[in-house]
Amino acid sequence: MMAVQAPSRKRQNQTTEETASPWQVVVLDDPVNLMAYVTRVIMRVFSYDQTRAENLMMQVHQRGRAVVWSGGREKAEMYVQQLHQAQLHASLERAG
Amino acid sequence: MTILPTLEGGLRLQMQVERDWQVLMALSFDASHDLAGDLSGLMDEESMWEDLIEPELRALFSHQVTQVEAQVRAARKGGESSITIGAEDADVWYGALNQARLAMEANYQFGPTEEGKSIESMERGKQQAFFRERFYCQLQSLLLEYVME
Repeated sequence: MMAVQAPSRKRQNQTTEETASPWQVVVLDDPVNLMAYVTRVIMRVFSYDQTRAENLMMQVHQRGRAVVWSGGREKAEMYVQQLHQAQLHASLERAG
Repeated sequence: MTILPTLEGGLRLQMQVERDWQVLMALSFDASHDLAGDLSGLMDEESMWEDLIEPELRALFSHQVTQVEAQVRAARKGGESSITIGAEDADVWYGALNQARLAMEANYQFGPTEEGKSIESMERGKQQAFFRERFYCQLQSLLLEYVME
């Protein structure tokens, strides 16, 4: 059996700090996904209204990327998972 | 092939010549690409995407292609002259078509469609792939317009 070392206080503090700092969900442009589809997915995943989703889609289209959400890491990962399921190119970045 | 909206809110793909079937049968071949791996590559190590999410994505994507392939095969084997994509199948079809287009873009780098792009200058395999990709894109647009909205 493998011995497991108890986490030190320093590591615990680091982890709290890491998870507390905001993360950004970024959608990246690709030459395949249709604009109407990208809008639809953003609306569905984040419950945004059509105008907001279309603005974000246009940012992706024109600038190559858009920050679509920011907040805690765990929730951000959940959103990226949903975007990947919809076959959108998305990633996580630390805010700031 | 003629594509018509149905009264039930789906699409009917009416086959006219053998080539229509061949295009649909090519979908699973065109979609063969490790999309789950590509998407996983966008994530950092801390997320453990490769271990936790990638297998699930791979299974989902594989399911989409398998379902469409099975529907096409069954229709052809049963001597049918059309395939109906109902509202309940639309996401699966859209996903399979999208995978094919993403894979073809990765393989052939068609880039954004532009007026005047010289299709004639493409080698034959790429040219045929280009026309299939355009067909898949049109079918996706119709799914979005008539079935998924």
